[in-house]
Amino acid sequence: MRSAKAIFIKQLQDTFKNRLILIQLIIFPMMAFIMTELVAKVDETIPNSIFVTMFAAMFVGMTPLVMTNSAIAEDREHKSLRFLVMAGVKPYEYLLGIGGFIVLFCSFVSLVFGLIGGFTGVVFVKFVSVLVLGSVASTLLGAIIGILSKNQQAAAALGMPIAMLLAFAPMIANFNNTIEKIADIFYTQQVNVLVNDSSASVTRPFFIIVLNIIVLLILFTLAYKKKGLKS
Amino acid sequence: MIKMTNIVKRFGEQTVLADITFETYTKEIFGLLGPSGAGKTTIINILTNQLSADEGTHSIDATPFETGLMLDEDGLYVRLNCLENLNIFAGIYGISHKKSMEALKRVGLESDAKKAVNTLSRGMRQRLAIARAILHEPKVLFLDEPTSGLDPVTARGIHKLILNLRENGATVFLTTHNMDEAVKICDRVALLHKGKIVEQGIPTEICHRHNAVKTVPDLEAVFIKMTGVGLE
Ligand SMILES: Nc1ncnc2c1ncn2[C@@H]1O[C@H](COP(=O)(O)OP(=O)(O)OP(=O)(O)O)[C@@H](O)[C@H]1O
Ligand SMILES: [Mg+2]
Repeated sequence: MRSAKAIFIKQLQDTFKNRLILIQLIIFPMMAFIMTELVAKVDETIPNSIFVTMFAAMFVGMTPLVMTNSAIAEDREHKSLRFLVMAGVKPYEYLLGIGGFIVLFCSFVSLVFGLIGGFTGVVFVKFVSVLVLGSVASTLLGAIIGILSKNQQAAAALGMPIAMLLAFAPMIANFNNTIEKIADIFYTQQVNVLVNDSSASVTRPFFIIVLNIIVLLILFTLAYKKKGLKS
Repeated sequence: MIKMTNIVKRFGEQTVLADITFETYTKEIFGLLGPSGAGKTTIINILTNQLSADEGTHSIDATPFETGLMLDEDGLYVRLNCLENLNIFAGIYGISHKKSMEALKRVGLESDAKKAVNTLSRGMRQRLAIARAILHEPKVLFLDEPTSGLDPVTARGIHKLILNLRENGATVFLTTHNMDEAVKICDRVALLHKGKIVEQGIPTEICHRHNAVKTVPDLEAVFIKMTGVGLE
């Protein structure tokens, strides 16, 4: 457990010194805030929370994924991961440290989204918890991509389109039935359903998101076992 | 302490290590000498289980926690400062953060503790990598070319440090292509050429055996005699 804590602290220190990643974290809530204040609240015909839900869903699909993926790819490329493994750090401890920080940080940003959206009570709790669960899934997917990529460039080349696809599939699904059926099994679609419709049934989307997390967790373990040390 | 028996390693068609056998004793500095491409790093990678050998056996009388490593790539976190880099490992080993500062002192980096790694010179980075390797006072220490690319003064400082580690009971396994370094600090050496050990033993004895003693024992002459090529 102390290894996970040490890696958590490393990730925290590194995030605040990494401008590219900081921008990833700030851009979505900032856009949500600006658009809500300047457009949604001014124009009576559109709901106040529309931009918050839109940018929050994009944030969940992209930011945790890109953060995790680039952190792991960099640790591998610079051979830092090798020293961690040689010091006895286990895969789950490494994941817990890196992913734990990223999930926690993204949970904090999710709270900010909830506040910008002006949600209250049960709706607020539901909104934020869905974003947190989505962040967990995105973090795992980012970890898998990070492990499988040779270097940071490859990680970005692979991670970006996947992140975009996941973040935007729900939007495309609105217009196309086939895509909606496929998108249905992915967590981003379910996050989208839940953040956009506070009256939707929670059980099924929740079940699908958790199932996504379990599958990703298994895939991560396999990827780490196979590629964890090789450069 | 560290033992390799009949190790063979191939990369595709190329046989990088051919029948490597040696043993190091407790509390000695063992030097693996050879030019670039001889297979030194490959031997360390096999000993530390980062690579698997095709044939043969190897063992180390120490747990991973009792082992310290400095490899050919330093793996430091470039945006973090020296102290932060060491504190991560202090956290992993479950030792006091005070040890980080002590390790920095031992390599002469205490006044650079707050400098980010990406602002350090090559020699400073190398010393930081050594500091990380000795942070938890390991029983066995692997140093892959600890002084390569360093100026003589810094290199001498590192020699003193390595001798000091042995005084404190550590077994040091180092690689180098610098013969003078080997004569100066190694208790025993193995000369590696194209994946084969061509000679091994106590440096001065090896030199006497091959009549390669000028004013100081001259391992380079032995190497040239055995292989027909020089080191640089
Ligand atoms: N992963 C690899 N795949 C293929 N060949 C490799 C690999 N690693 C090393 N080699 C080859 O093995 C040989 C020995 O390499 P090694 O890195 O062990 O040499 P070295 O003695 O450490 O050299 P240097 O002093 O330059 O560090 C070289 O010919 C190298 O090209
Ligand atoms: Mg080498």
